[in-house]
Amino acid sequence: MIQKEVKIINRAGLHTRPAAIIVKLASKFNSEFYIYQNDLSINGKSIIGVMTLCAEQGSKLTLSFEGEDEEEACNEISAYFERGFDEL
Amino acid sequence: MNFLEKSKEIRKEFIEVGYFFESCNKLFNIELVAENKGFKKKITQNAIHRPGLALAGYLDLFTYNRVQIFGNTEASYLKKLSSTKRIKSYEKFFSFDIPCVIFTNGNEPDSDFKKLAKKHNVSVFKSKYSTTKVVYYLGDFLDDQFANQMTIHGSLVDVYGVGILFVGRSGIGKSEIALDLVERGHRLVADDIILATRKGEGILMGSGTSLIRHFMEIRGLGLLNVEKIFGVRSIRFQKRIEVIVVLEEWNPKTEYTRTGLDSIHTNILGVDIKTVRLPIFPGKNITVISEVIALNYLLQHYGYDAAKDMQERVEKGISKKRKSRDNRVITYFEHDFE
Repeated sequence: MIQKEVKIINRAGLHTRPAAIIVKLASKFNSEFYIYQNDLSINGKSIIGVMTLCAEQGSKLTLSFEGEDEEEACNEISAYFERGFDEL
Repeated sequence: MNFLEKSKEIRKEFIEVGYFFESCNKLFNIELVAENKGFKKKITQNAIHRPGLALAGYLDLFTYNRVQIFGNTEASYLKKLSSTKRIKSYEKFFSFDIPCVIFTNGNEPDSDFKKLAKKHNVSVFKSKYSTTKVVYYLGDFLDDQFANQMTIHGSLVDVYGVGILFVGRSGIGKSEIALDLVERGHRLVADDIILATRKGEGILMGSGTSLIRHFMEIRGLGLLNVEKIFGVRSIRFQKRIEVIVVLEEWNPKTEYTRTGLDSIHTNILGVDIKTVRLPIFPGKNITVISEVIALNYLLQHYGYDAAKDMQERVEKGISKKRKSRDNRVITYFEHDFE
């Protein structure tokens, strides 16, 4: 299992469009993907789950991957967070 | 069960007095007596305390960190004291880090008490309700606030009054089953994120989150609002979780129960919930099976267990040592050729 902490850096936060892209990216991989925020744990392959986070600019999330392709999944998805959802 | 692996058990560590006041005011009308001070203080326990003995001077085991209730006993005791003794008693009381004080039964603090409360930044509330009633409401509210909680990935549907929680890997069709059940007149509690809260002994309540409410996602369609499509009869906000249905891909190597005599349970937050492992494959109508799971659960609840009944029949049959092999169920309608 890999865990990685990421920060939301774009101004609009984790809104619908990036949420949909995260789910799309995640569903390419077989690994299980969960996102933790304070006391919430949500399945990263579910659009409703990701949108529930309502993560604003500056908030921190923990990504957790588990499965045979966990490393690729972690790299690709955390890179998307680090690029500010391509909105910078 | 592995579907719980990613769920974290959580419990609030504290609530602030300000939040406590706001919520309790809605529940049973408490009024703020002193100035709005001490709203940032933390309540960390779900228990409450009657400080009668502490006021009388016995301060061993004084659970000062709980919400303090001043009922008739405390008020009449304080009234009987001389004013110097009373102030001394107050001073001792406030030397502890009290979260907040509630006067019940229409009792009110005197000016010395208010002064000291202000000095120590302790909020003082009053209620016109009896101590018993306030204790009842408060206990319920604080128990709920400090209950153990867990977020579970799944769908919760009320099927014939039985709360069925569907779990399984992402994309296996939990939402589709929930939608199918709603279409057949059952009620959706929440899809995707279920907040499970333990209530008392052996009761697990499930609800959705305030943001999602009754939205769900169906692959290929996108987001839907079940309440808008099917109306208010198709939803509810909370439901006791009574049965867990684990949806799995059909695996010929896995053994599934054939009789139903060997029931399995999943422990969530210390509550054992009856669990059904359901293999899925094309052509299998999970919706109808879910309805049957609910109805069978109800039958068992009312004292009838089909598996046990059948077991008894077989045992009876064996003990009779029947010589004749007349196995037909109907003998009366011999001449009915329909």
